This record gives sequence, structure tokens and C-alpha cells, in this order.
Amino acid sequence: MLNVYYGNMPEAVFNTSVYFKNTYEDAWITDPAAKEMILDVDKSTVLDGAVIDSPVLGKIAPVSLSGGVKTLILMKNERSRIFNASVCGDNCAKWILKLAEKEDLTINLRHLMDFGEGRFDIRIMNTSQVVHSMKELVPIAGLYV
Amino acid sequence: MKGAHRIIVQNKRIRYDFEVRRNITVIRGDSATGKTALVDMIREYYENGSASGIELACDKECTVLEGRAWTVQLAMMQDSIVFIDEGNGFVGSDAFAAAVQDTDNYYVIVTREGIPSLPYSVDEIYGIRNSGKYGTLKRTYNEFYHLYRSADYKQEVRPERVVTEDSNSGHQFFQAVCGKSGIGCVSAGGKSNIFRTVLGQAEVKILEHPEDYIESRDYFSWERFFTALLVRDTKDTHLRYVKRHLNPAYLQERVQNKILDVMDRVHLG
Repeated sequence: MLNVYYGNMPEAVFNTSVYFKNTYEDAWITDPAAKEMILDVDKSTVLDGAVIDSPVLGKIAPVSLSGGVKTLILMKNERSRIFNASVCGDNCAKWILKLAEKEDLTINLRHLMDFGEGRFDIRIMNTSQVVHSMKELVPIAGLYV
Repeated sequence: MKGAHRIIVQNKRIRYDFEVRRNITVIRGDSATGKTALVDMIREYYENGSASGIELACDKECTVLEGRAWTVQLAMMQDSIVFIDEGNGFVGSDAFAAAVQDTDNYYVIVTREGIPSLPYSVDEIYGIRNSGKYGTLKRTYNEFYHLYRSADYKQEVRPERVVTEDSNSGHQFFQAVCGKSGIGCVSAGGKSNIFRTVLGQAEVKILEHPEDYIESRDYFSWERFFTALLVRDTKDTHLRYVKRHLNPAYLQERVQNKILDVMDRVHLG
């Protein structure tokens, strides 16, 4: 299940780009799920662990991926940490839900991310409530961001 | 600073062309739209000028504010357009809000978080979108677009209640106008209370005229209606209400006082 803490969370990694730059491994980039996320969010193709082909920027290093996709890769590979998911746009929301399907994932949000029209299971840690739609989520989470 | 200022910044691959016209401009939107790339280009041009390979055209100096030493940097920035990328936690601080009010800069802030301490307009929240390639060049053109435009909302608005941010002149105006039409007008008591106040309006409406909400066929007494409402609305929360056993959360001093305050002339303490 996806656990979300809304609002300021001092123990969360706030600047995820800096954390990514100093911790990522080549294998994280060539992982099939990461390749899929990079293609979907950044419209870029992974050539190998150190080079990605971006339609806008040309050949780039993993540190030049978008802040959103770098955070998704961190969420996948560093489950013991909590990351500031407010650096992720709404186009990352489906991937966050997917990452939480098989294994619990805890994130920090400082804004109301749109998780889409579908049903989902999100535990709002501030109140320990489990919500299943944006209609249920917004009235609760909106009080904390 | 006053007036609108056009900024064109480009390298061989990307070109941004946009205008800022107020002291605070916010950029948000989907990931991978080029928000950080824009701030990076502004920084690189500021540090290296045309030797960066970047071209920047603007009638004001464009610079970047970031890191722990932001207060020192800010003290040196005057009459500039200051860009701040996401990942700078100071943006939401009261210290930052106080500091920027004493400057003559315009600020372009990349963040999805609300910044309640800064007065920015919903009209100055933008996303960045790709406006295509230019001619045969491979350069991508990016422009700003309004994320929230009143033109996107076609429905007529006929409010049942109006919530104003504070209780000053604006509230007094709407209270007077709404009063003529019998529309309730309440003050949120500050920007950060607006969401909570709007949410609370449904309950307020019920409490003002319970008879309009309680169907006698469904509820033999008003008490049963309010019990059902409380049970429903607190389900799965720390305030979960069960009639048989009082949840200790209701014994918090704040909650106790709220209940005792409405019991006129009864003194239990």
C-alpha cells in the first residue's frame, strides 16, 4: 500500500536531486522498470547505465533526468528512505501507485498530487485513514498542505 | 521593479521565451517539462555570460537564488529577476517571505507547494509547454502557459455561501452584497484557513437549519441523525465516534471546551 504523509516531514529527503546524484547506481538506470518510467515521463531512452538519449537535450547522464523520474528511481531502490514526492508532477502519480502495489511505499507530499480518476488504496499517515479516490483524499489531505 | 519584462534564453537545443509582470511568478506542472533546465540556463549565463554558450535577452539582470547562504545572496540582488528552483526549502519559510518584501526584485519560483506566506496571484501560476521546433532547426521552443484560467470554467457560479480570505474591506463588501440576496458570507480568518473553512460550510449549513436535512422517516429524532452523521464522518479517523464507548480523543481540552462553550449558563469546572 502507498503511505503518504502530507505536509512538512523533517525526516524526508527534501532535495531528491542532490541525493540521487550522490547515491545512484548504473544498475538502477538499466532496470526494466526504470527504463519504462524514463521513457514514459521523460520521453527518453536508456542506452546504458550512464547514457540516456533525450529528444530535447541529446545524450545525457542520469543526473540530468527530470527531478520527477529521479525521485521515482529513488523510491524504487531505497525503500528505507522517505522522499519528497512533491518534486514529482502528476505524470509520475501512476508510477508511484505502481511502485506501491507489491511492497509498501512511504512518501512525503507537500501538495495535492492528482492520483487520477481510478480507485486506489492510499493510507494518509496524518490521520491513519485509508482512502480510495481523489474525492475521498482531497478533503483530508487538503488540511495538511 | 515595475512593468512586464520579457526573457528570452536559449542554447542550441532549447529556447524559452516568456514574460514576467508581477513580483511573484510560480512555475509548476508535470515532470520533464524543462523547469529545472530553465533555471540551470539562467544560472550558467549569470556565472559565465556569453562564454556559457547561452544567449539571454532581458532588460533586467536574471539570477538564481539557492542554498543555505540564500540570505547573503539575496542581500546583494537588486532590481533583478530572481529564479529559485525546487529543492530549496527556504521558499516556504517566514524568513524568506519577510526578506523578499524588502526587495525590488521579481521572483520566479519553481514549486508545487503552496506558499501561504507569499502573496501571489492565481493568474501568475504557469506551466511550461513545448511550442514546437522552429523551422528546420532542432531547437525546442518552450513557452509559459497559465495553469488556471477562468476561461476554462464555463459554468455560471451561483454560490450558496461565500468565503473571504480575511475580515477586512473585501469581506465587508461581499457581506453587504451577499446579505441582500440572503447568501451567507464568512471570513476564513487568513489564507491558510480557507480550505478548512470551505470544508466546514456543509456542517455549518446543517447546524443552521437541521430541519432542512433531517428526514423524519429516516431519523426518529434529531439526536439519531447527528449521531449517524458523526459516526459516518469520523469513520477510519482518530476521532472515530462510537456511541457505546467514548473515544479518548474527545477528552482533549480543546474538544471539551468547544462542547462546554455551547452549554450556556452551565458551569462544570
